[in-house]
Amino acid sequence: MWPLTGPFVPGFFIDSLNLIFIIMAALLWFAVSLYSYRYMKVEGRSRGFNIASLLTLVAVMGVFLARNLLTMLLFFELMTISSYFWVIHRRDKEAIRAGYFYLFFSIIGGLFLVLGIVFMGAATDVLPAIGSGAVTPLNARAFNWSMVFFLIGFGIKAGMVPLHLWLPHAHSAAPAPASGLLSGLLIKVGAYGLIRLGEFAGWGMEAGVNLKFLGVILLITGILSMLLGVVAALLQSDAKRLLAYHSVSQMGYIILGLGISLYLGAEGVLGLLGAIYHVLNHALFKAALFLGVGIIYVYRKETDLYKLGGLWRQYPVTAILMFFAVLGITGAPGLNGYASKTLLHHAVSFLSDKGGLWAVWLEWLFSLVGVGTTASFSKLYYLMFLAKPAEEDGIERLVNKKFVTERKLSGMQAAMVLLVISMVLLGLFPQFFLYKMAVPAAETLGLSAETALAGFSFWTFSDLAGIFITLALGVLVCFAGLKSGAFHWQPPQWLTLEGLGNLAFGELSLFWGEALEFYHFACRGIADTGKNLAGSLVRALRRFEEPGSLTAGKSTFTGISADLFLVFMVLAILLILFTLTRPEFLDLSILANLSGN
Amino acid sequence: MTSLILALMSALVGVLLIVLIPGENKKLRNSIVFLSVLLALVFSWRTGLLVFAGKSIGLKVELGRFVWSLRPDPLGVVFGLIASTLWLFTGVYSFGYMDNKEKQGSYYVFFLLALCVTLGVAFAGNLVTLYLFYEFLSFATYPLVIHERSPEAMKSGKKYILYSLSGAGLLLVAIVLTHHLAGNLAFGAGPILEGLSGPGLNWLLLLFVLGFGVKAAVMPLHHWLPSAMVAPTPVSALLHAVAVVYSGAYGIVRVVYSVFGRELAGELVFSKIFLYVIVFTILAGIIVAIRQDHLKRRLAYQTISHLSYILLGAFTLTPWGLAGAVFHMISYSTLKITLFFCAGIISELTGKSSISKMKGIGRGLPGTMVLFATGTLGMIGILPLNTFWGKYYLMKGSVAGGMWPLALVLIISGILNGVCFIPFIIKAFSGEKNQPAGKTGKRGYREYALFIPPLVLTIAAISMGLLPGMVWPAVQAVVDWFF
Repeated sequence: MWPLTGPFVPGFFIDSLNLIFIIMAALLWFAVSLYSYRYMKVEGRSRGFNIASLLTLVAVMGVFLARNLLTMLLFFELMTISSYFWVIHRRDKEAIRAGYFYLFFSIIGGLFLVLGIVFMGAATDVLPAIGSGAVTPLNARAFNWSMVFFLIGFGIKAGMVPLHLWLPHAHSAAPAPASGLLSGLLIKVGAYGLIRLGEFAGWGMEAGVNLKFLGVILLITGILSMLLGVVAALLQSDAKRLLAYHSVSQMGYIILGLGISLYLGAEGVLGLLGAIYHVLNHALFKAALFLGVGIIYVYRKETDLYKLGGLWRQYPVTAILMFFAVLGITGAPGLNGYASKTLLHHAVSFLSDKGGLWAVWLEWLFSLVGVGTTASFSKLYYLMFLAKPAEEDGIERLVNKKFVTERKLSGMQAAMVLLVISMVLLGLFPQFFLYKMAVPAAETLGLSAETALAGFSFWTFSDLAGIFITLALGVLVCFAGLKSGAFHWQPPQWLTLEGLGNLAFGELSLFWGEALEFYHFACRGIADTGKNLAGSLVRALRRFEEPGSLTAGKSTFTGISADLFLVFMVLAILLILFTLTRPEFLDLSILANLSGN
Repeated sequence: MTSLILALMSALVGVLLIVLIPGENKKLRNSIVFLSVLLALVFSWRTGLLVFAGKSIGLKVELGRFVWSLRPDPLGVVFGLIASTLWLFTGVYSFGYMDNKEKQGSYYVFFLLALCVTLGVAFAGNLVTLYLFYEFLSFATYPLVIHERSPEAMKSGKKYILYSLSGAGLLLVAIVLTHHLAGNLAFGAGPILEGLSGPGLNWLLLLFVLGFGVKAAVMPLHHWLPSAMVAPTPVSALLHAVAVVYSGAYGIVRVVYSVFGRELAGELVFSKIFLYVIVFTILAGIIVAIRQDHLKRRLAYQTISHLSYILLGAFTLTPWGLAGAVFHMISYSTLKITLFFCAGIISELTGKSSISKMKGIGRGLPGTMVLFATGTLGMIGILPLNTFWGKYYLMKGSVAGGMWPLALVLIISGILNGVCFIPFIIKAFSGEKNQPAGKTGKRGYREYALFIPPLVLTIAAISMGLLPGMVWPAVQAVVDWFF
């Protein structure tokens, strides 16, 4: 009996890299499970949510643990389907619109992955197993294209600019725990894919295979994501949208790190280490942030920053937990963000030493984004917890006793405590993760970290000074922005990708409408001409129906039509002439070759 | 050999029995139909398994110089098995659908007759037999198209017959020419026109393609298909999404591989030109589908688009391409039938057939819409549905054949398939509960007969997607036969 699986042999494996990812996934899902009981009482339809969550967990684990590309693709698609139900959970117009974006982008991402697999199959005899190291392709062009397709496919999932359009809508329309998981885990699936992509590409070091362009693409898109995410986040007034844009920005950090290691090869291992570390860190603090915003939503049914304020009095525990999360994402020393950002900063500095002027710019932009991040989160924290509440609403809300105060702590805060403790531990002992988990992962992927990390320390003076300056500048920018109202600036339509998309779509619809009109016009023209021709032909033929008579000599034939007779005679003569003159009318010289078949 | 004959005869016997039933005995008639289809299924599977095991079975009747032969080979067996298996499901569905309709006797007679004829097309051993059964198929399915006897149905039937017979006429010319060139019309190990070459063969291929292309709904010969949607839904589902149109696609694949052969077809410039027509059909078919409001017409145009996937696989002239074509034949049929069945359930239980009026029906018919959604995911061609494998191998074939833009065309087509139906599904589940009129939620024999076939087919599709090894040996057999 043949094996039931045929061309598809599902396989799973574990190595130092996906170990990190699945521990992260398990931790986050556990935290969210503590959280969602209380939260979903507000949103409703918790059963559907829990089913979607569990299915997504299965799918995500499947992607991380997949041994071959087709298995990974299967779980990738399952992940798209199950997480779609997160995005449309609220079933309102905004959620459904976000769902469209999410579904289509994810499906298109999956289709690009299929293209990548097909071209990879053309490049090598057997599809390479994931985690088996660099690929030596037989067909370099096909391999390069397959890398590009994988990049696009995973990049869509990772929220890489310019493929990130779905992210702000989807992450803000989903319920808060789902947003935490979407931002915390699902976009990391994209990052995981990109890391494996780098592994297949041999980190650009394979002899005879020119894959530096991958590094360049990642560097460019990485820095663009960082910048665009932060600038857009600064302009947001809705807390969840702000966090969603920050996901784009922080993923930019990760993509930048991967770009550095793809570009520099073995010397760029710091970029890879920083990226892996940042994957974990971002998952933790982004989830914590979303959960925190969700807690406020549960208590106040509001996520608009300008309608909240002064909440530290009512919800002190949440305020403290959120403060830790904010410290984490801005990179304050003592928390985990500092560790990964330092690694990445070292990587970028190394690049700027080796590369040209553009790399120096990269380093400046890197720091700039750090300032922007701090500014944005200062704004978030200030407006949410510290500032005076908007007066009219404030008085009403204090009078309205229905709002819960934080006397009853629930699983929501427990979940955040879990995440915050992890963040603090990782922040105070960054060497643990770096040397025990990230370096082995890098080694499995083919990059050795010994030389780069020789003499490396997290707590150098320049790094600490640098981060404190960044933090201070960020807070200053925040206050300047708040006072001047610069954060309310709405960019013109043509400046945003979405606006461009809308404009393009509008133009395309016009064009399409006009093309259709022309098509109908042409069809009518052809149909009319045809009808006219047919009409005249029918009229001509009708003449044959008139009976006539033919007199030849003494006999008279009646009831025949002379015209028809004439036509037949002419046809018969033509046919005879034709056959007489061209016996081999098929013009094939093979008749001579045929022998009595 | 006995299985072969019995496969065809069971349907015919069924026809005779039904014709002989006095009066309107629904239970008896339905049982006869079920038995006939089941027996046809059993015997065709027996035939198929024998062929896959390597045995060569055939039936040859020589009347003077006219040789009539049935000789299933792997490709024909695949088609025959698809047809007979899906006929069973459609039969059960028909029991539910046609329950309250008129002229059921006439319906079932031609239903069974079409089964017999389709198996004849599938198992045909030479071009003449193929042509005979192909022509007969048009006649056998005509009464099913005009079943309603409404003016619109008669018009569609006329169009159907005109298109089919014109195509078949060209096919006859092509067959005569082939006989003239090669003297032999049997599908054997090697292609019929082996060893021949020359530019004139382009015209021969054109004639064949025009002949079979009418039934395979290649644009611009496709106009009969959307009109034929006026037929009852089981007919639309089975015949005009699977049996009849597959006979056209099967015919073209047969022509390319058994008549011309891979090398010759590769040399002919027509193959390259026809690829452009195929690409046009794939893209234009689905784009036109997006603009349709009538649900069945939208499905019809999607059918037109997907049929050309099979032709694309055949014309890449690579083993992967052929594998993709066969895979697609198998997987697409299950899901397309499901989509049509769901459309039929919707029109039967809610009376609606226009998409613009179908907002919210998912609330009243959740199971049906879930099946529809799964079918749509299959049309896009993503795991875990089985159509993924068809597309995957088609793309591999395109790249291997040096025609990598075809892979992009398939991707774009997938996206367009999504655009075509995903908004409809989402609208169906949103909004007010659009309760089917008069439906009280009680499930009778009719509801079960309507719902269970698509449910089983969807489960089968997902299983095939996760375990493609279920159908892989068949695909392998076909590829090994020709390569």
